This record gives sequence, C-alpha cells and structure tokens, in this order.
Amino acid sequence: MTAIIEARAVSKRFRQHRRFPGLLGALKTLFTSEYTEVTAVADVSFAISEGEAVGYLGPNGAGKSTMIKMLTGILVPSSGAVSVLGRTPHRQRMTNAREIGVVFGQRSQLWWDLPVRDSFELHRRIYDIAAARFAENLGSLSELLELGPFLDRAVRQLSLGQRMRAEIVMALLHDPKILFLDEPTIGLDVVAKDAVRRFLTQVNSERGTTIVLTTHDLQDIEQICPRLIMVDQSRLIFDGELRNLRATLGSRRRLTLEFGVDPGVLALTSARLVADEGPLKHYLLEREDISLLDVLTEIGADRDLKDVKLKEPNIEEVIRTFYQGRNAAGAAG
Amino acid sequence: MYLAFASSALQTQLAYRGQVWASLFGKLIQVFAWIAIWMSVYGDAGSVAGATLPEMVTYALIGGTLTTAWDWRRLLNAVGASVCTGDVAVYLLKPMRYPLYLFATECGNLGYKLGAIALPVGVVVALTYGVLPPASLFHGVMFLLFWALSFVIIFLLAVLCGLLAFWLLTAFSLEWLLQGILSLLSGTAIPLWLFPDQVAAAVKLLPFAWISYHPIAVYLGKTSLAETWTYLGLGLVWAALLTLAVAVLWHRAALRITVQGG
Repeated sequence: MTAIIEARAVSKRFRQHRRFPGLLGALKTLFTSEYTEVTAVADVSFAISEGEAVGYLGPNGAGKSTMIKMLTGILVPSSGAVSVLGRTPHRQRMTNAREIGVVFGQRSQLWWDLPVRDSFELHRRIYDIAAARFAENLGSLSELLELGPFLDRAVRQLSLGQRMRAEIVMALLHDPKILFLDEPTIGLDVVAKDAVRRFLTQVNSERGTTIVLTTHDLQDIEQICPRLIMVDQSRLIFDGELRNLRATLGSRRRLTLEFGVDPGVLALTSARLVADEGPLKHYLLEREDISLLDVLTEIGADRDLKDVKLKEPNIEEVIRTFYQGRNAAGAAG
Repeated sequence: MYLAFASSALQTQLAYRGQVWASLFGKLIQVFAWIAIWMSVYGDAGSVAGATLPEMVTYALIGGTLTTAWDWRRLLNAVGASVCTGDVAVYLLKPMRYPLYLFATECGNLGYKLGAIALPVGVVVALTYGVLPPASLFHGVMFLLFWALSFVIIFLLAVLCGLLAFWLLTAFSLEWLLQGILSLLSGTAIPLWLFPDQVAAAVKLLPFAWISYHPIAVYLGKTSLAETWTYLGLGLVWAALLTLAVAVLWHRAALRITVQGG
C-alpha cells in the first residue's frame, strides 16, 4: 500500500509579537517589533496508508491541531513537506478540500441559524454532490448516527452531542477519501462519545475512509485507531500499533501474590518486591519477556500460594509513566 | 452554489421575523423625521439650491429606504470577528471563495430587507406625502444601475473595513469611522448640492457619493445625459478599485492566517 498522507520532517514555528506587561508596556508593544518564536511542531515525519485509522495523541499544546491544520491546508509548514493524496494541501487548497472531510471539535462548520438539513443542502451545493449520491449518503449516515429526530431543528438548538454527530455526517457527505477530526469527542458525555466512536469505527471499516483524529482521550484511540502516533513537546515520540506501545515504552505489570501463611521476606529475581503486607505481597514485573510461569517456578510449589493476580497496565498508566519519566529526565538534564 | 447561499441567507432572516417590526418602525420614524426637517427648512420657499420640496421628500424617501436598506455594520463586524478569532479558517476548509460567499449571502439579506422593510416604509411614506416618478425613462433605468452599484460599493467598503480589523484587532473603531464618513459624505441625509460648491465638487468624486447621492440625483434628473454616463463610469472604476483592494487584503489576510495561524 502506498502512503496517501505523508509528513516529511515537518516543523511549524509561530512568531509571536512580544508583548510587554502594564500600560506603558502596552504602548511599548505598539512600537516595537520584537518577536518570540514558538515551536508547535518539530521535525515530525510519518506516512499513513489508505484505509488506516490513526490516532494522533498528545497532551494540550503538543502541536496536534497544528499538524491537522497543515494536513488540511489551512496552515503552511515552516519547513519540511506535507503531502495529502499526492498534493501539497496549502497550494491546492480547493482541490484538496474536495477530497477530504474535516471536523473540528471546537469550531462548528454548520450554519448556526439553519436547520441541520439545510446546512447539509448547502454542503451539497458547495461540493457539487450528485443528488442521488447525496440522498443515499444522507439516508445511511443519518440513520447510523440517528440524526432523524433533529434533522429539521436549527443548529443553535442542538445539544453538543447532537451537533457533533451532525458535523461528522456533514464532513462525510461528499465521500471524502480522508476524514480529519480534531478532538471530535471533546466535551461529550459518555453516551455521545460512545456513539461517535462506534460510528467512526464503522465508517473506517465499511467505507474504507482513512481516518486521522487528534485526541487526548485514550479511549478514542483504543476503540477507533489500531495505530497511534504520539507527540509531546512538539516532537514525535511514538508511532506504531497500540499493543506495541507497552513494549516500546517499557510498561510494568503488577503482580499480587497471596499466601496462606506469611512466608517472610521473599525476594525474587524475576520480579521486584514493591510492597509487603505479610501474606499479601506486591511485585512489579519490569521485563516483558518474563511470564507468570517464570515467577511461579521461582517461588516453587511448597509456599502455600493461595491466589495470584496479574494486572496489565492500561494504556493510560503506560503513557502516564512515560510522560513522568520524560519530565523527570528533563528536570535532571 | 453561491445562489444557494443567497437563498439560505434569506431564509435565515425569515427565522428572525420578530426583529422586523422594530426595524420597520425605526426606519419609518427616521424617514418621517427627515421629511419634517426638510419641510421646516423649506417653509414657504419654492426651491432651495434648485431642488423643490417634493423633490426633497422623494430624496429622503429613497435615501432612507432603497440605498440604505441593507445593514453594512453587521457585515463589517461579522467579517472583523471571523478574521480576528480565526473562525474564517472554516471557510478556508471548503472549496469556495470567502469574499464571493459573503457577497452571495449579503445579496440574500438585501433581498429580505427590501421586501420586509424598504418596501413597506416606502409605500407608507409615498401614500402620506406623495413621491415623484423618475425624471425620465432614461433616468429611471439608470437609477436601477446606480442602485445596484451603490450596493456593490457599500458592500466592498464594509468588507474592506472588516478585513482591516485583522491588522488593527478592532472592528468597532472602524465601524465608527466608516459611520462618520458615510453620514457626511454619502449624501444619504444631506444632498451634496447643499454643500459649498468646491467641497461638493470634491465629495462627488469620492466613492461614498455613489452610495446615496448619485443614485438619487440621477432619479431626480439632476444630472444631464453626459454626466450620468460619466458618473456611472467613474462609479464602476471605484467598484473595480475597491474589489481589487478587497482581493489584495483578503489574499494577505489568508496568507497570514495560513502562515501565522491568525
């Protein structure tokens, strides 16, 4: 498969006019041209193939939205190159726009005062969608996301969850090859989040639409995206399958052993003892290649072992450990 | 596509029918006030600066309804807000041109304002004080052209000021500036023929004069055949220059939004 989205050593730096505090400072701001440079994206490269669903993950301010904006052609990279469907998005903005769908969680693209249906109709006119195709898409998409009850209501009267569903349907009406979503689940309640996630998974598998979404909600990724790109402090820190993340970032499984009688201090080579409550002992398995069997073999059969619990870390823990480790390293360095 | 924007703007306005009554009465009072002022200024005089009282009533009627039917302040503020907050990026995501989109939408709004406000006010005033027909068929036809030009020029001025807000970070002061200029130089309230000759000669050449003064002067037959054509030509030149200015400014704003992120 060939890549339909490519970022090659992309960086984006913003120049910010330096502002001075206070009233005199405000005057000074008017007459100076000092700038501070802020790097939002630094040397990020990746390639995405047709039909993939990719999650672009990172904490606030990590440069996620900036990357989406560069891929959709409304921001120009400071250096490096972006290519979407073989085009440079900001140079061929109009042609690019016809083949992609974009949803911004925090910026509505629906017409505020019009009924949802009329917004869709305008969308049809903007993108020159054939009437039959439009009717078919509208029918199937709005059924999937249950837009029926509020199709004729004005957008300003919708709840956030309803509006977001309408936004996503609109972004798909012109059969885009790629769907970009910037924080699509932000601010939604659990039910609405779940509906959006299920829908996106379906769109990806049934229509083959390539999906790129930014989020800081890990569940979005777990449910929609087999592949994950992680950024932090404007740099790419991980690109690969979700299940490989643990191995790469070095996760630690938590092992709890319960004995009938307190065996005393029990140091193991395969696991590190972290808490000792007598008969209840907590260990950390720091190496991926050590299995539960290895640990049990080391303990031996004569210890009156009652119960064994092995807890896989969830993805959130993995990433938290990672960021913490990184910050600690940053502080030390 | 752009036709669809015009008709949807019209529908949007229809959704806010409640505002109609307030605007309608406001307009009505404004036009009646102007007429009352002219009546007291004229007193028993037959004509002032070559214009009769019925001509002034017609002037106030057209200036109060047709050439000022459309609300440029709302567009100026909307453009200003969308470039300052960066919401304009949403329009960059779609395969369409933002300035053309605005023009289409405002044509729809104009249609609505004409039907809902200008027409009723015009009928009421005409029935109360009477209104003069165009000076001749030629002047009547030319008035329609001047009137269309008037809308184009005020539209362009509003967009221009709205886009300037991107650099000045305030649409509010620009609105006041334009408001001040227009109230004096567009001839909406005071016909330019009441200005001192030299001032009038200069003001007649500024683009603002095409908003109200020239269209109404043509309607009343205050311009000769040659003058009418000359002013039409000059007005088109101004429209072209303003279009160019909007295009350049929009291009630069779009460039800055895409390079600087707003």
